[in-house]
Amino acid sequence: MSGPKLNLRVRSIEPLSPLLKRFELEMADGGEVPPFGPGAHLRFNLQGDHQRWKNAYSLVTPPTERRRYAVIVRRVEHSRGGSAFMHETVKPGQILEASVPANLFPVSQIARKHLLISGGIGITPFLSYLAAFKSKAAGYELHHFCRAKEAEIFGHLLRDHESSRIHIHAGTEFNLSSVLSSQPLGTHLYTCGPEGLMDLVLDTARTHGWPASKLHSESFGSAHMGGAPFIAILKRSGAEIAVREDQTLLEAIEEAGFEPTNLCRGGACGECLTRVLEGEPEHRDHYLDEGERASNCSIMICVSRAKTNRIVLDL
Amino acid sequence: MLVSGIVSRPKYEPFALDPSGRSHLIVADHPAPPGDFGPTPASNAPIEIWCVCTNPRTTAEASQNGRAVSRSFRSTAHLLDQLDKRLARELVGLRIYAVGIESFVWDVARLARKFGMEKGEYRLTHKGSERRRVYCIHCRAYTEDVTTNIVSCSGCGASLLVRDHYSRRLAAFMGVQVDAEVPGDVPAIEEAFP
Amino acid sequence: MTLAFKPAETFRKDFTYRNSEAGILRFPFPFAEDTYMYSVNIEPHLPGGPSPAYDHAFDVDEHYVAECKERAIVLAEDPNRCKVLPHMTEAQWDTLELIMESFAKDYPEHFSLQKNGTRWSWENRPLGLKDSFTFGDLSSLPYEPFEYITRQAQGDFTLQDQRDNNLFVDGGMVTTQADWSLEFDIGMTFHEWHGPVPLAHQLGVFDRALKFLLRLQYGQPVRRLNWTMTINPRLDTSPENYPVWGPDRNTVTPENVAQKVHLRVELQTLFRLPRSNAILFGIRCYLASVAELARVEKWRKRLHRVLRDLPPELEDYKGLTRYRKLVVDYLAPFDDGAPLSRGPQPDQTIL
Ligand code: FES
Repeated sequence: MSGPKLNLRVRSIEPLSPLLKRFELEMADGGEVPPFGPGAHLRFNLQGDHQRWKNAYSLVTPPTERRRYAVIVRRVEHSRGGSAFMHETVKPGQILEASVPANLFPVSQIARKHLLISGGIGITPFLSYLAAFKSKAAGYELHHFCRAKEAEIFGHLLRDHESSRIHIHAGTEFNLSSVLSSQPLGTHLYTCGPEGLMDLVLDTARTHGWPASKLHSESFGSAHMGGAPFIAILKRSGAEIAVREDQTLLEAIEEAGFEPTNLCRGGACGECLTRVLEGEPEHRDHYLDEGERASNCSIMICVSRAKTNRIVLDL
Repeated sequence: MLVSGIVSRPKYEPFALDPSGRSHLIVADHPAPPGDFGPTPASNAPIEIWCVCTNPRTTAEASQNGRAVSRSFRSTAHLLDQLDKRLARELVGLRIYAVGIESFVWDVARLARKFGMEKGEYRLTHKGSERRRVYCIHCRAYTEDVTTNIVSCSGCGASLLVRDHYSRRLAAFMGVQVDAEVPGDVPAIEEAFP
Repeated sequence: MTLAFKPAETFRKDFTYRNSEAGILRFPFPFAEDTYMYSVNIEPHLPGGPSPAYDHAFDVDEHYVAECKERAIVLAEDPNRCKVLPHMTEAQWDTLELIMESFAKDYPEHFSLQKNGTRWSWENRPLGLKDSFTFGDLSSLPYEPFEYITRQAQGDFTLQDQRDNNLFVDGGMVTTQADWSLEFDIGMTFHEWHGPVPLAHQLGVFDRALKFLLRLQYGQPVRRLNWTMTINPRLDTSPENYPVWGPDRNTVTPENVAQKVHLRVELQTLFRLPRSNAILFGIRCYLASVAELARVEKWRKRLHRVLRDLPPELEDYKGLTRYRKLVVDYLAPFDDGAPLSRGPQPDQTIL
C-alpha cells in the first residue's frame, strides 16, 4: 500500500565525516511536519536521471520538533545507489518526495528500563529515542560500537545526553554477557547496526533468558512492499503487464486499466484472491493457510509477488 | 448474554520448568508444590520454591531441598507480600511459575506484570478447586469461592449468571444479573465449578 | 449541506431521538447482500462510498450536540466508563491532536484550532467551548487529553497498545456500547476482548484481522461496519446497566415494533497514532428505527431477508431472540422477493 506523500525541501546539508551527511528537511509548503514517534523512519522516492530508488532513513530529530525533520545518510562505499545520490546529487533547496513517517522500531510503552546497543550508523534510530527518554521516568543505557576513528563523530552526535548513561566502545574490551545478565526485570533490549552485531546481541540475550517479547531489532526489510520486477500475464485478456519493483502486482494491474476486486489492500480480507495458472507466487499475505500457500494455486495480488519472472493469472 | 464457549476463558499449562530461564521461582498456594521439574533446566540455574503452609509457627526461613531452596509462608497474603519485594530487585532471565487455584495464580501474574514481566516469563498452572471469583458488573463487588452457575452477589444481592468471560486484570469472571430481562425469571441453580 | 443540530434529543426515558429525512438517507446501512455472515470486511477509510457518513475521518451529524450531552450524563453516573492505563499518555495526546485537526479541517464552521508551537487554542462552537492549553502538559486541560477530546466526539473510542505481536485494549471512552464493558475488558489482548463473539473465531476472522492491524500504517486508516439491534434509541446498552435496558426487550408488540426496534450500526475506524505507535479504534454508533429504514424501498426488503435468514448463533449473540420474528413479520408484506441491486446504497435520493 502506498500512503500519503510529503514534499520536503532540503534546508541544509551538513557533512559529519567523509561518509556521513546530515540532511535537514522542511515541508515544501511551509507547514508543520507530521508527528512521529521514536524509531520512525522516512522512505524517500529518489528520482535520478535514469533510475529510481526507495531508501528509508531513520528520523534523528526529537519527536517534539515540528518545524523540520533530519536524517543522517551514510554513503555506501562503491555503490551507485540511493545513498550515493543523496551524497552527490541532492543540494539545498531541492524538493524530495517521501512517504509520511512509519515506525517499525517503536519503543515499548511498558518497559521499566531501555537498554540500547548499536553499531556504526545503527545509532540513528536511537537519536530520536534518547530525545524522547529525556521526558520519561524509565531509565536507559546505551552502548555504541564504532571504529576508533569515528568515536569522536559519534561522541559529538551524543553530546546532549547524560554521559553516565552513554558508553562508546571503539575497539575497547567489552563484556556483553555481563551487561545482559544484570538488567533489572522489565528491561527491554533494542539493537540496530550491522547484521553480525545484531545477531550476536540477540543470541547472547537469549542465552541469558531474555524472552522474545523484550527483544527488538530494526530491520527495514519487512516494510518493503516492493521486490524484484516480474511479468504478469492476465489469461482472459492476454494482457502482459510489467510489474515494477516499487509497485504491487495489484497496482500494476490497475495501472494497465483493469479493476480486479479488492478491499483491504493489505493481504487480510481475501477479496483479491486470484487463481495462478503458471508460475510460482511469493506469498506475503495473512489470508491463505499453509496448504493453500504450498499448492501455489492461488495468490493475493494486493501484497504477493512472483518468485518466477513470469506468472500467469486467471484474470 | 448466555453464550458459552467463550475464548477469553484462560487456558492453563501443565507445570514444567522453562529451559530458557536463568533462574526459577516456583510459588504455590499449598504446601506440596510439584517435585518433578520436567526437562532439566540450564545446569546452574538456581531454583527456589515458595509455598503456603497454613501454620502460625511458620517462618519464611529458607531450607535446602535437593537442588532447590524452599521457603514456607503462613498465608497466601504473606507470600504475595514477600513476592512483591523480591521482584523489585530481580533481573531479566527470571521465570515465575504459579501453581494453585485460579485467583491465586492470577494474583501472581498481576504482580509479575507490575514489574514488567510478560507472557513467556511467567507460567500459570491451575491446581485445586475450580471455584471462581466473580465480579458483579453492576455493583463491582467480588463474590469469592463460587461453585454454582448462578450466585447471589455479595454486594447487591442480585442473582448473577457466571459468564465464561474472564478478566485477567480483575482476576475474576463476569457476573451478570440473570433476571434482568424478566425480573424473577431465574433458571435452576446448578453446581458447575467444584 | 449545513448541519442543523438537534440539541434537545434524548436517548433515555422519553427517547425523543429521531432521524431527519436526510439523516435516514445518509444512514450507513450495513447490508450489501441479502444474507449476512462475518468476514474481515476491512477497507481503507478514504472519503467517499455509499453514504456521506464515510466522507470524513470522524463524522459529525445532526445528533452531535445531543450525543455529547448523553455522554456527559453517563460519565456523571459512572466515571469508570472512561479509563486509560498510565503507559498510554502519549497515545492520549495523539488522539487529541488527530480529532482536533480532523474536526477543524472538515468542519471549519464549527471547530477551530490555532497552534503557536505547543500553545494551542481550541474552539468548539456547537458545544460553546473555548480552551487554550499547552500540548504535552497534562495540567493545562480540565480533563486528561483523551477524555477531554472524546467528550466532544460522537461514538466510543478505545486505545490499543501494540506489543509482543498483539494489541492490548489499554484505554477507552465507552458510553454508547453494544453490551461490552471497558472496566472489565481493559488490558485484554485482541482475542480475549473479542472472546464472547461466536463463530468468528472458528472462521479465523480475528487471526487475520489482528495480523492486518499490526501492520496498520500512520496516515492510512481503515474502517469496517458491524451491526446489532436495540430496543428504543438507547445509546448506553452497557452490561453495567443491563437491568435498566434488558426489560425493554419484552415491550415489543406487533403494534409498536417498527417504532421501538432500531438497527444499530457501528462504523468502526482504526488509526495508527504517530507518537505512541498505538491504534485508536473509533466505534461510532448510528441508530435508525425499523420504521425509518422501511421508508427506503431497497432497505426494507433487504433487512427483511437478512433477518429472516440469520444464523441462530448470531441471533442469540446479538440479543435478538425475543423480538426478531416480530420484525420479520412486520417487514414481510413489503418484500415481493424481487432481486435487489448489490451494495448497501439506498438507490433513491428522496423519501
Ligand atoms: S485486497 Fe484484501 S487480501 Fe487482497
